[in-house]
Amino acid sequence: MRIAIVGSGLASLAAYATLRHRGVPAEEIAVFGTHEDPLEVWRGRAAAIRQTRMRSESEGHLGAAAWPGLALHERDPRAWLATAANRYHPPVALFLRHAERVVARTGWERSFVQRRVERLAAVDGGFELDGDGPFRHVLLATGHPGLARPIPGAVHAYEPHDYAPQVTIVGAGMAAAHEWLNALAAGSEVVSVRRREPTRRPLNVPRPLLTKRGLDAYHRSSPEEHAATLRTLSQPSYPPGARWDEPLRAAEREGRFKVAAEVNGAPQVICATGFLEGFSHDPLLARLVAEHDLPTHDRWIVLAPDSTVPALTNGRTLTIAGVAGQWAFPAADTIAGAKYAARAFARRCRTR
Amino acid sequence: MSYTLRGRIQSRLAAAVSPLVVALALQRWWAIELVALMLAIQLVLDLVYDRLLAYQPAWLALPLGALELGLVYGAVRALDVMWPLGWMLALFGIAWLSGQIFAHAIFPRARLEYGESGGELGRVGAATAVAVAVTLVGGLGAAYAVRPPTVHLHGTVQGPLVIDHAETLVGGVVRGGIVVRASHVTLKHVTVVGGQYGVDVEHAQHVMIDHVRVVRPVLDGIRALDAGVMISDCSVTSPAGGLVTGILISYSMGRPMSMVEGCTIAGTREGIATHSSAVSVMNNHVVGTTERGILLGEMSMDMATHNTVEGAKGIGIICMDHSMCEIEHNTVAATQPDGNQDPTRGGVGIEAFFYAEAKLSHNTVIASPGGMRAFDNSIFTSTLPGM
Repeated sequence: MRIAIVGSGLASLAAYATLRHRGVPAEEIAVFGTHEDPLEVWRGRAAAIRQTRMRSESEGHLGAAAWPGLALHERDPRAWLATAANRYHPPVALFLRHAERVVARTGWERSFVQRRVERLAAVDGGFELDGDGPFRHVLLATGHPGLARPIPGAVHAYEPHDYAPQVTIVGAGMAAAHEWLNALAAGSEVVSVRRREPTRRPLNVPRPLLTKRGLDAYHRSSPEEHAATLRTLSQPSYPPGARWDEPLRAAEREGRFKVAAEVNGAPQVICATGFLEGFSHDPLLARLVAEHDLPTHDRWIVLAPDSTVPALTNGRTLTIAGVAGQWAFPAADTIAGAKYAARAFARRCRTR
Repeated sequence: MSYTLRGRIQSRLAAAVSPLVVALALQRWWAIELVALMLAIQLVLDLVYDRLLAYQPAWLALPLGALELGLVYGAVRALDVMWPLGWMLALFGIAWLSGQIFAHAIFPRARLEYGESGGELGRVGAATAVAVAVTLVGGLGAAYAVRPPTVHLHGTVQGPLVIDHAETLVGGVVRGGIVVRASHVTLKHVTVVGGQYGVDVEHAQHVMIDHVRVVRPVLDGIRALDAGVMISDCSVTSPAGGLVTGILISYSMGRPMSMVEGCTIAGTREGIATHSSAVSVMNNHVVGTTERGILLGEMSMDMATHNTVEGAKGIGIICMDHSMCEIEHNTVAATQPDGNQDPTRGGVGIEAFFYAEAKLSHNTVIASPGGMRAFDNSIFTSTLPGM
């Protein structure tokens, strides 16, 4: 085997599907991860926040090619019109069915090796993973390094939970927005605790930053500007629209939804505060950086625009996908980001 | 999609393969010229779009397409070229639709990075774009090299002038008539004085007669026999005898559809007459004819729309002899009886005669004692009350 993917989530599946689409045999790829089902973690989180629609639009799917998107799978002209107007958000159930088809079609299980990789070492001809290898091309997609839980003992939004009559929800991003509506729908009174007002944005990042048009300027910017952009984009945001605003306004009028600056001793506190941030929380990445003296800036590993680690990509390839790949692609923690890294990785893997 | 400028241009050129193939299949220079004109306008617009649109949602393709169509049509009018409108719209539609299919389906499948590359197509796509550009430039060059010669007439030429090869004749005065015996002939801004026929076209097609003035013809002002002609903005006046027909198109059913548009005809026996032909007669002004203003006859399949017929003796507009006509939005005024006591010629504004079928709508008939009438097993049909 000459190619390894470390991680067993959506970013890994996107990379695997892209490689297979490019004609790389399953036998040439090893996928190291802790979950044989690459949808397991994401499915659990979506279920925990009762998410029914994707934030992403039609292209937010795991197929290697952008077309056909999920809207065409709906066989409903209204979905096709909505996708032309950027108003189509695929149902989570449809996305999961599609992802299951990708898993089955690509032969994921033939490449999957159930194992947590602790150490990656650069060696002649590639990389060793805990002594296995060498693999000439490696893609690391280790995912979020853990849930951010600023209040010890509180339940996290991405963990299974129900709603008490009075709920305090900490955070102001996409998960928090779901939780406000869920708790209100369950009849709870909700206090939203936030440090700042959330940004209202259809997608995680402005659309030009998903393509070369915006990325070129981003890649040319200085490391300080890079980091400033990433910090700005990591502020909590959720989409604009009546779907979100009307239930909140109605609940405010009824006195069931309030905003507060501090947790006020409510019986149930839910942390919709996302994930731990930065490579240092990920043992594999932290060790990789330390052992190979890789350049970093603030909480990010410095990457080339094509998501590779420049110091370790020279005849061999080390690509970082998923949230840890934000230096190359600000929306790296989205499906579009996973595919961005996957496509660049697949281009390099074609070189035997 | 957030296009880069290079992405817009490469995508635009590569997607032009479809209309270019259609244009080449048509084997008509005007089609290649039209595709080139469309592309030129679109590429200029791409420079504007690049500045204005950081992100272009899919729905925007519709208003932008409408804008581009309007500009292409405006350019065609401004350039004063006579390309067939139907084909022009069809080619534009093919270009627009194929552009959408390429941008949203074919390119993203053929090149996985298409979206994130801002529409840039890589080496293969760039080569395709260059090939399209080279084909168009080469095609235009070839069209220019083999284009019919243009002859500018100065002063007065004694005719009859016989044209027996593709040629564009511009300006001047021809005495004794012009005889056209070849296809792809264009007459522009020519004045013809006298002659049996002012302009006589036989067994030819793609003949354009634009801004031609015929004065004092003996038989017909413009005659087309077994021919496909596009006549626009002409005038036929001062007939030399009582039997003159302003424009006569006959026995041309096997030729491409003819058109008579924007002409003024005064004082002839018949204004515009068709026999066994398919002709679109529109926006013409026919005044003071002594027998019939507009005649659509002998199994013709014609349309007469937005014409004005004034002061005709006998009949304003007639659809006759097994013809099928669409007569819409015409104004017929002051039609007078010709004095023969024959009701079919008794100042009838619009008439169907002898097994003819005329579909009428939105016509206005004023001060014509015969009104609108069907005779001798003919019928009027109408989608509107009052016709």
